[in-house]
Amino acid sequence: MVAPASASDDVLQVEHMAKRFGPVIALRDINLHLRKGEVLGLLGDNGAGKSTLIKIICGFQKQDGGQMLLHGEPYEPRSVDQARSLGIDVVYQDLALIDELSVYHNLFLRRERVYEPVPLLDNRAMRREARRVLDEIGIHLPRLDVPVARLSGGQRQAIAVARALISNADILLLDEPLAAMGAKEGAQILDLVARLKAEGRVSIVMILHNYTQVLIAADRVNLIQDGVITLDKPTAETSIEELNDIVVNEYRRAREELARAAAAGAG
Amino acid sequence: MESTAASGPPATAEGGGPGTTTRAPASIALDLVKRFLTLREGSIIVVTILLGAYFAASNGTFFTTANFKTLLPYFAPFAILGAGEVFLMINGEIDLSIGGVYLFAPFLFYQLNNGGFPLVPSLIVAIIACMLVGVANGVLTAVLGVTSFVTTLGMLFSLEGLTLIISHAAPVLTPGAQISSHTVNVAHIVNGHKIFLPQTVNHIGTFAEIFGGGTYSELIWALVVVAILQVVLVWTRWGRYTVAVGSNRLGAAEAGVRVRLILIRNFVLCSTLAGVVGVLEAVRATSVQPDTAGANSILFDGISAAVIGGTLLQGGSGTVVGALIGALFLGILHDGLVLQGVNANYLDFYLGLAILLAMVVNTYVGRVRRGSGVG
Repeated sequence: MVAPASASDDVLQVEHMAKRFGPVIALRDINLHLRKGEVLGLLGDNGAGKSTLIKIICGFQKQDGGQMLLHGEPYEPRSVDQARSLGIDVVYQDLALIDELSVYHNLFLRRERVYEPVPLLDNRAMRREARRVLDEIGIHLPRLDVPVARLSGGQRQAIAVARALISNADILLLDEPLAAMGAKEGAQILDLVARLKAEGRVSIVMILHNYTQVLIAADRVNLIQDGVITLDKPTAETSIEELNDIVVNEYRRAREELARAAAAGAG
Repeated sequence: MESTAASGPPATAEGGGPGTTTRAPASIALDLVKRFLTLREGSIIVVTILLGAYFAASNGTFFTTANFKTLLPYFAPFAILGAGEVFLMINGEIDLSIGGVYLFAPFLFYQLNNGGFPLVPSLIVAIIACMLVGVANGVLTAVLGVTSFVTTLGMLFSLEGLTLIISHAAPVLTPGAQISSHTVNVAHIVNGHKIFLPQTVNHIGTFAEIFGGGTYSELIWALVVVAILQVVLVWTRWGRYTVAVGSNRLGAAEAGVRVRLILIRNFVLCSTLAGVVGVLEAVRATSVQPDTAGANSILFDGISAAVIGGTLLQGGSGTVVGALIGALFLGILHDGLVLQGVNANYLDFYLGLAILLAMVVNTYVGRVRRGSGVG
């Protein structure tokens, strides 16, 4: 196990985080930290609590217990807007795109450019800025005024990622950013993450399903199992085999538990 | 071969492809027509013009200034009601209580004025009461999670009942709307002699002139409200968030849009406009009946205007200008059928068929517009 890092280079710390939805416990006791400039890969089975954790950090949901520190200061976001104003932005698993709105209105949702003093939307400025950001991250769309409903799965994913980048956040939370993407588009996003990492300004928490991608993209990997973090290792010190073993063991344990429960039920 | 042009809507949507320069003028014209028809308001504009042309051709009195003045009250109130309803329908909600608010507002206005308040403060307090109805609708729907259909249906009956209670089911004269008549002597030249004959001059006050009594008062209200709300819908954050909430409520919330606030605001907009229309109509008619059936019919005309104009009940998409044209369509249809001498019993029948037809066209055109084919 990796020793806890010194607080000085942690941008974000999560301590004893707990969250339940009615009878379902999503997070039991999560302790996690994110160092400045690193990419933290978050692994875990479906329902392990990864997305819930992301949604609490980004201010969309409120935890039941535990606390967070942002740059060493207590951090209690009351809204997504507030988290964003503190430099935390997110790409949700469901992308949170509005099908009926144009590409640039989606990119600037909640951060619209408006004229003064009458707050009408400055569409031209948003289009220009959107074009610049999309070019910068290598996404080429012929038109930005079409509704995003018209775009492919990969393009939509790219728009969602671009939206998080446009806000100049210094902590990015990416929930399955490669889910709807083909191999080529996925590689583009991973390149982008590598480029952001090289710049060293942004720290990233990234949920991924694919171990290979985690080992390529992340500096460190955390594994969530049943609402608790059970592994915290630099990717250099782990391997696909080790990660696989842990997960296979988890399945075996789950099967044994089921069998025991069935036996108890029968007896 | 213009195979891309022949393939239809998707090609149109992509715009200037490589083949644009080589196209024949006829093909460009066809393309323009297609583009117009795929405008959200396109189909209803065409249908309305055709309807107007039909009545103008078959009836000499249709295309006259006098008739347009007759037509206005069958159009302007529904345009305003429809404009508010568009915002809620884009949210994926509906407000049935506008019928109740429409009826309640002028009676509250009357009661306040009767109780000693001057005209304008009475009006302001009555409109604020309407806004509070919107807040209640919004809180019940957005915070407590009661379906808006149920919330506003309950509110509709409550307000109509309340109106019957406070009015003792008796009509009242609208304050500030009364016509004063006096006689003046007007000079006439008869056979070279100047003679004076008495003539009655009707006069309505400035208040009435502005709030529905003037010939074009309601038309101006409708045009101003529609123009402002169309700008709000397309060029402000409120408008874009309204679309966002209707298109993807969870996604909008995740992106930071304050969904409840948007919903409550749109309920308030809707009931405020209903209150304004109620007062405008009461002033225009100079008296107001506690007629709940009439109010319900107004409610459905308002919603029909929005729906015919191309706003989808399932949310995510709509247009305020469409509601104006939808209301114009209803007005022309109503007025034209009356001019044709159609039996009043047939009126609703034709109206119903027209709404069905308009919706079939809208749905079809909408599907083509979104490029998902016509199959």
